[in-house]
Amino acid sequence: MKILYFAKLKQTIGKSEETIKIKGKIKIKEIINQLKQKNNLYKKAFENTKNLKCAINCEYADFDRFVTDGDEVAFFPPVTGG
Amino acid sequence: MMKIRFQEEDFNAEKELSLFSKKNFKSGSIMVFLGKVKPSSDGKTIESIDIEYYKKMAFTQTKKIITKLKKKCFFDDYLLLHRFGNLFPGENIVLLLVASKHRKDSYFFIETVVDWLKIKITFWKKENFKNKSHWVEQTQEDMKKIKNS
Repeated sequence: MKILYFAKLKQTIGKSEETIKIKGKIKIKEIINQLKQKNNLYKKAFENTKNLKCAINCEYADFDRFVTDGDEVAFFPPVTGG
Repeated sequence: MMKIRFQEEDFNAEKELSLFSKKNFKSGSIMVFLGKVKPSSDGKTIESIDIEYYKKMAFTQTKKIITKLKKKCFFDDYLLLHRFGNLFPGENIVLLLVASKHRKDSYFFIETVVDWLKIKITFWKKENFKNKSHWVEQTQEDMKKIKNS
């Protein structure tokens, strides 16, 4: 599954995207927990999920949503365009 | 001509308005929103800003609000230009044009799309000062709009 990071999150983790392998379906919040185990950068990036947005295939999604291997998941802070 | 354009290079707002107005010569109202880079933030001088975006989702979310607006107001045409990359104070960030028969529909369209740029459409700004940079955070006012959107 492709995971994308943007803005402050990308800066904290140090990468804009990565691919992870998942079997079957998994909740977004479980992916976050797995990522936090990787290292302190991920732990820092995901420590305050209140200010974190998630999208599945370009649609906003909450952390209880399930995803499968073919989905594109993005994590980012609230937008500030315009 | 593409109605939604995300680009790094600057645009000529006057030229875009002129072309748009000629194209929509039958519309009684043409309204413009032009967003620019501010020279300061909280009293500190901004040297430049960086705008990052999630291209595919920015298109998806823009098209989504346009589809919603088609059910809520009457407009003949629109154009949204939003820049990304490194921009300097005074430079253009975003141009939004709308053509409609009546001005009230134009007002509503502009306000709604600009709100979505602040709450849904995936662009992020980083302000660069002389000795440090910081990512701009969403305002309380914008957060309230998310709850009502």
